[in-house]
Amino acid sequence: MNPSLITPGELAPDFELEDVNGNCIRLSSFRGKNPVVLAFLRGFF
Amino acid sequence: MRDHYPEFAIRGAEIVAVGTDSVSSFQEYWKREKIPYIGLPDPEKNVPRLYKQEVNLFKLGRMPLNCVVDINGRIRYVHFGSSMADIPDNETFLHVIDQINASSN
Repeated sequence: MNPSLITPGELAPDFELEDVNGNCIRLSSFRGKNPVVLAFLRGFF
Repeated sequence: MRDHYPEFAIRGAEIVAVGTDSVSSFQEYWKREKIPYIGLPDPEKNVPRLYKQEVNLFKLGRMPLNCVVDINGRIRYVHFGSSMADIPDNETFLHVIDQINASSN
């Protein structure tokens, strides 16, 4: 196992991106509110 | 996950999908397939890099990577796909979310 891989228990690295509707989405903005399922897509377009 | 979105929504969970395709392909796909959750195009690949999503050896694409983040912002579950089709089923995610919700009540 690569020790640098993301592992349970650690803080999820925060990021901010624009969604398909142009809204800024910051991962940490869900803190205290919602669990988040993060799905990294394969690239299928 | 699209067809099961209500099961996530009812648990207060959000689904956030990050991909490296262009903004326009993302928008088209989201519209055409009526995807109800958040789609984040990242053609610069910064976030996949941050999360160390693996690239398929044959350059056919990226390997699937799925995480569940709890309400404290901590990784609760992580799954690095070992093949292009290796994505956990919805039950797995819902189970983790139920555990998060049970422990935060």
